[in-house]
Amino acid sequence: MKTIVLLSEAKNPVSGRQQPSRLEAQAIGLAAGLDEAPQGLHAGSSEEGVAAGLGHGLGGLDVVETPAGDDPLPALSAFLRRAFAGDAPPALILCGRRGEGGLETGLVPYLLAEMLGLPILADAVAIRPGEAPETLVVDQAMAKGARRRITVRLPAIVTVHPLAPPPLPFAFGRMRRGEVRRHPAPAADAPAAGTLAGERPHRARPKLMRTAGTASGGANLHVGPEPEEAARLILAYLEDNGIRRYGPA
Amino acid sequence: MTAAAFLPWLIVAMVLVAAVQIGRRVMLWRAGKTARVDWLAGLKALPRRYLVDVHHVVDRDKSASRMHVPTAGGLVLASGLLVLGLVPALAASRVYWAFVALAFLVMGAGVVLEVRRRYPRALPRLSLGRWQRLPVHLGVFAAGGLLTALLAALGNPLPALSFVTFLAAAAAGLALAGTAGTGPMRHALAGATHLVAHPRPRRFDPASQKGEATGLRPLDLDAEKLGAETPADFAWNRLLAFDACVQCGRCEAACPAFAAGQPLSPKHLIADLAAAAGGGHARPYAGMPYPNERAVGGAAGLDAPIVSPEGLVHPDTLWSCTTCRACVEECPMMIEHVDAIVDLRRFQTLELGAVPMKAEEPLAHSRGCDEPNGRPLFERTDFAAGMSLPRIVEKGEAEVLLWLGQAAYDLRGQRTLKALIQTLNSAGVDFAVLGGQERDCGDLARRLGDEATFQRLARANVETLSRYRFARILTADPHALHVIRNEYPAFGGSYDVVHHTAFLAELVESGRLAPASLAGRAITYHDPCYLGRYNGEVEAPRALLDALGLERREMARSGKRSMCCGGGGGAPSADIPGDTRIPDIRMGQVKETGAKTVAVACPQCTAMLEGVTGDRAEVKDVAELLWEAVEAGRRTPAGAAPARELQPA
Repeated sequence: MKTIVLLSEAKNPVSGRQQPSRLEAQAIGLAAGLDEAPQGLHAGSSEEGVAAGLGHGLGGLDVVETPAGDDPLPALSAFLRRAFAGDAPPALILCGRRGEGGLETGLVPYLLAEMLGLPILADAVAIRPGEAPETLVVDQAMAKGARRRITVRLPAIVTVHPLAPPPLPFAFGRMRRGEVRRHPAPAADAPAAGTLAGERPHRARPKLMRTAGTASGGANLHVGPEPEEAARLILAYLEDNGIRRYGPA
Repeated sequence: MTAAAFLPWLIVAMVLVAAVQIGRRVMLWRAGKTARVDWLAGLKALPRRYLVDVHHVVDRDKSASRMHVPTAGGLVLASGLLVLGLVPALAASRVYWAFVALAFLVMGAGVVLEVRRRYPRALPRLSLGRWQRLPVHLGVFAAGGLLTALLAALGNPLPALSFVTFLAAAAAGLALAGTAGTGPMRHALAGATHLVAHPRPRRFDPASQKGEATGLRPLDLDAEKLGAETPADFAWNRLLAFDACVQCGRCEAACPAFAAGQPLSPKHLIADLAAAAGGGHARPYAGMPYPNERAVGGAAGLDAPIVSPEGLVHPDTLWSCTTCRACVEECPMMIEHVDAIVDLRRFQTLELGAVPMKAEEPLAHSRGCDEPNGRPLFERTDFAAGMSLPRIVEKGEAEVLLWLGQAAYDLRGQRTLKALIQTLNSAGVDFAVLGGQERDCGDLARRLGDEATFQRLARANVETLSRYRFARILTADPHALHVIRNEYPAFGGSYDVVHHTAFLAELVESGRLAPASLAGRAITYHDPCYLGRYNGEVEAPRALLDALGLERREMARSGKRSMCCGGGGGAPSADIPGDTRIPDIRMGQVKETGAKTVAVACPQCTAMLEGVTGDRAEVKDVAELLWEAVEAGRRTPAGAAPARELQPA
């Protein structure tokens, strides 16, 4: 299943240096389960940070060279349109869900889905091919540790939740071997729709104490389990939620 | 024709058989990568390396040296004499046969001593199996040779018996020669060749500093494959080194990971690496298994991956190592276990990204913000708020550059550094720190196999250091000391690096500090591996402790043969579970001395030993003890001590 992972310019919160975003590295990890060589796609002026995505398991990386500060959306959509029209169209596009220090708004996946006319599904923690051809089964993370399993028809855009499995560790050799293909930015035509995000001063809002829609407990409620079983469930819960990271017990 | 007349031909046959077997092994070595070897210098140095360096190590176990000298000496002597026996005139002389018998007698005496090490029960660290049968073969060969030669010397009174003894010697001798490629006798030629073509010739050079022969070599990051995956990825003289192993198990007895029940035994690992090239163990490995052994597939071959659940070595074995070099220090065959482990780790980390899950975090931080703990560089000097701590960026130059290291981010390490800084101030030392420009030295990244990150950090640090003028670098962290002193020169930075224990000892000796006596307290000193074993500095800290009037009690394992605290080589990050913890074992050894305080000289050791729970000795850095004494000396000025002007706080 040909998979493309969108990469953004993330910055290390301590040093401010460009680095791959952890969420997108997790997306690469999910993609690697479907595609032997998932491809990365980045539109921007520098590939310094995103190239490390190759070290996390990308098979190759396409960089559309747009001037710094430009909206990446036209470049991305033009590139993907061409890819869909080509002889090996991608089946799945994975993205992170918010900017990590660059100029990202977190809206790119949605705007892209709108422009390309693709379905979008948010907050995946696990993905696998569906039984029917051209479908994908996605486990979606919801509040309070709830999960929802959804089957979508491909091609689709899926964003990844931080509770997805940790990324593949970085390997310098993989990064060095990975191929970076540079593409010139498409000629700027009309400004893309939906880029008219306004700015307004921050207003403090009340903290949300309860979110509707998700039942608490549910599948995670166990009455009077054996101690061994209880311990296993607790460890599995901590593991699933990324609180403990030792791998499955 | 007497039976003895066949003895020279037996030796010829044994040499031929052994040559064929060793030749097959040489073909395997040739599959390794090329290595630059100065053959002439190596050959010239061989006698010294064997008689001095090797003997020095072997002789630590007297029963081994007493056994080996007559056995090997007798064997070589008898074989040499017998080859001369091909001259007919000599073979006719009864005096000649008496000499041959004498040589076999010497060998026999050695074999008796060897048998006493192995029977009725072998030392636990020794391998059984073929190694247990080796003295039997040697003994039968020596006894057969002795009797045959003796009968010839007596004029051959019993020809029938001498044929029987000759046949026994022939059977045992050919059995020995037949396994010269894969069996115990492989060590003879491989060991000698290894001494000639040793990958670290500097370690035999008495004029060079110990650290010069212990630093890791830089990896060419543009190479086709990074690190060692298969036996063929090792340099040929490393493959040779693995074959030199005699499975004496001294490394295993010294290995802290083995003692703690982690799945590592240096002996087993080297045996596995030697076996890997030839397609697996010729016979089952007969030493102690890896503690809590992980199941592996056992696939082997020149081009088969060594470290993998399907290969010969489980990844947990690789990541258990603390790189303390105790195995290297103990090895009579001069094998460099740690180099092999780091080479294997480099492949795992750089090519596969297969680091233990917990070790990925410090590596990611090192890549992202130059500090494995993920803290900003400018916070490094926060602990010293309110102290006089000059930054070199303000002064431009200083006599001494203080390298703070990671300890500056750790509450416990900060106590040591504060004591050190106060001591420096009170001695009026002209020093400064890099402050926010100091990056991590890269030790952790390098030992975890992330050579790319290490090289980036090393280059950045060398570039920073080149901007300032200073005479020496002072550090309280032996890991930083080792890396900057011995591993940065490859990146264009050669510095005079001094450990704080040596520097403070200098200050006390020259009278710039006047510590009061702390007499009445018993302490023991724990040698950091990277100071003692890696750099041979074991005297300065002791001299300093003695100058404080402390009663110093030595642990059974101290100095260059000290035991690791478990904190090196990224082992705490990899955190491979065992039966117990290495620092618990070390603290038990502290307890045996009865000392209530254990003096340390490394922030890693401090952290590891302080992590021991329960009733244990107090952990104090040498700098803290000295500062305590200096403060005591200021409160009660002992007549001779000149009053010193206090630095503004």
